[in-house]
Amino acid sequence: MSRKTINIPLGAQHISLLEPVRFKFECENEKIVGVDSDVGFVHRGVERACTTKFKFDAVGYVVARICGLCAITHSLAYTVAAENLLGAQVTAKAAYLRTLLLELDRIHSHMLCLSHTCENAGFEAMFMQIMGDRELVMEIQELISGNRVQFDYICIGGVNRDITAELGKKILENLTLVEKKVREYKDEFLNNWSLSLKFRGVGALSLEDAYRFNAIGPLARAAGLQTDVRNEMSYLPYKEIGFVMQMQESGDIHARNMVRLDEIQNSIEMCRNIVNGLPEGEIITKIKGKPQGETIVRYEAPRGELMYYVKGNGSAMLDRVRIKTPTFSSIPAFSEIFLGQEYADAPAILASFDPCLSCTAK
Amino acid sequence: MFRKFRKKSPWILHYNAGSCNGCDIEILACISPKYDLERFGVINTGNPKQSDIFLVTGPVTFRSRERLVELYTQMPEPKVVVAVGSCTCTGGVFRDMYNVEDGIDRYIPVDVYVPGCAASPELIIDGVVKALEVLEKKTKAMEKPRKLFSEATTKEGIVDRRECAQKVGEADAKDTE
Repeated sequence: MSRKTINIPLGAQHISLLEPVRFKFECENEKIVGVDSDVGFVHRGVERACTTKFKFDAVGYVVARICGLCAITHSLAYTVAAENLLGAQVTAKAAYLRTLLLELDRIHSHMLCLSHTCENAGFEAMFMQIMGDRELVMEIQELISGNRVQFDYICIGGVNRDITAELGKKILENLTLVEKKVREYKDEFLNNWSLSLKFRGVGALSLEDAYRFNAIGPLARAAGLQTDVRNEMSYLPYKEIGFVMQMQESGDIHARNMVRLDEIQNSIEMCRNIVNGLPEGEIITKIKGKPQGETIVRYEAPRGELMYYVKGNGSAMLDRVRIKTPTFSSIPAFSEIFLGQEYADAPAILASFDPCLSCTAK
Repeated sequence: MFRKFRKKSPWILHYNAGSCNGCDIEILACISPKYDLERFGVINTGNPKQSDIFLVTGPVTFRSRERLVELYTQMPEPKVVVAVGSCTCTGGVFRDMYNVEDGIDRYIPVDVYVPGCAASPELIIDGVVKALEVLEKKTKAMEKPRKLFSEATTKEGIVDRRECAQKVGEADAKDTE
């Protein structure tokens, strides 16, 4: 007996997608039995431009334009790589301020993902609520760095702006508000019956599969795989400001949402510790010289591990910049999760991965 | 009646032609409660055949240009194109990269340019309001009665009104003479 399957395309332009990506689902009745993905729509050629068009001190601002959501992680990873090549050290205060922006970025990115997952599951009111509360975080970011999305806050040698005492107070105020809201969301995500129908047990990834397909970020942590670069690295003071790895077991959309909510709470706690215990000192140190040699830097972006490989040859132009982005590594795991799911759940599952295609295609 | 409601509640089609997501999340922020573009009746729709305003972000990559033009041609007249973000207007930081086509106005006509990297929600709202004016102007131009000046030509048995009508500007010029 021959199997009768229907091919349904999702994308390249779709209401549930922020970015162009095409998935071709092979469906048997409602069940998805095969997935084919095409992610290269937004390839721009940033890696090559970094070595031919821009000098090494400008590349930090160019790589931030790879992705608007994790812009700060990209520029930070590149900047740290460049500082390694130049043999420079930044002050403790600059490291703290960098971590502050990194964690604020994580909070707003996770909130965007949660709201988007709700919207794609059909819960429009929750989407509006979370997006509204996200503005509190955006406001802090605008006050600190001067822009809402593309900060250009980190430069080689430190950071571009300092925070004042009033600003510190405002940050704590807004974070307290956000924390209260997050507690409410947590209650909603745990106890809302209609959300549980859409999220619990849907789009599950087992621990073995997470390991086999090299899942990273919240996707892996929701499946119980202990992987978080923040736990392993020493350039930023994560141990001092109270980082705790957030884990879940079940690996479904619900678990991913819970990991994100827990991480938001942990990040708020860390931001509070940073603002309260900000060390004294300069925010920027002058650095001279040209990058020489090669280095690898890893950072935890909101979506998982981000890796930069930078090679310099002693001149202003770099030899090679290689960027490995989190979503790119997770695509095999994405395709695995889709198999055996209902087609109607596909947009919600896709949103729960928090895919970032402009990162992936660069 | 249609004209009234088209002005009152324009529907938006949003396409990302290779941007960094920055402008896209700002467009989402426009719809969210703080800026709340939806109170003006603006709805983000995914269907090109039902939309009036085309919001494009990104410098147009090699692979997205066909989709861009296709979406544009699928939209019904009158339509307004808004280029959101510096890279959409000119290519911005991505200008001269090997896979980038330097701005959307090489492919489709643009009515409103919104600068900024990333364009702030206030600017995007300004751009959409400006687009509404253009939309109204285009609607009026379309609905202006055309004077017949030649024999009706038939193409495959159907009378083509456009063919035998004068252009809007020409008719006006003749009246004033």
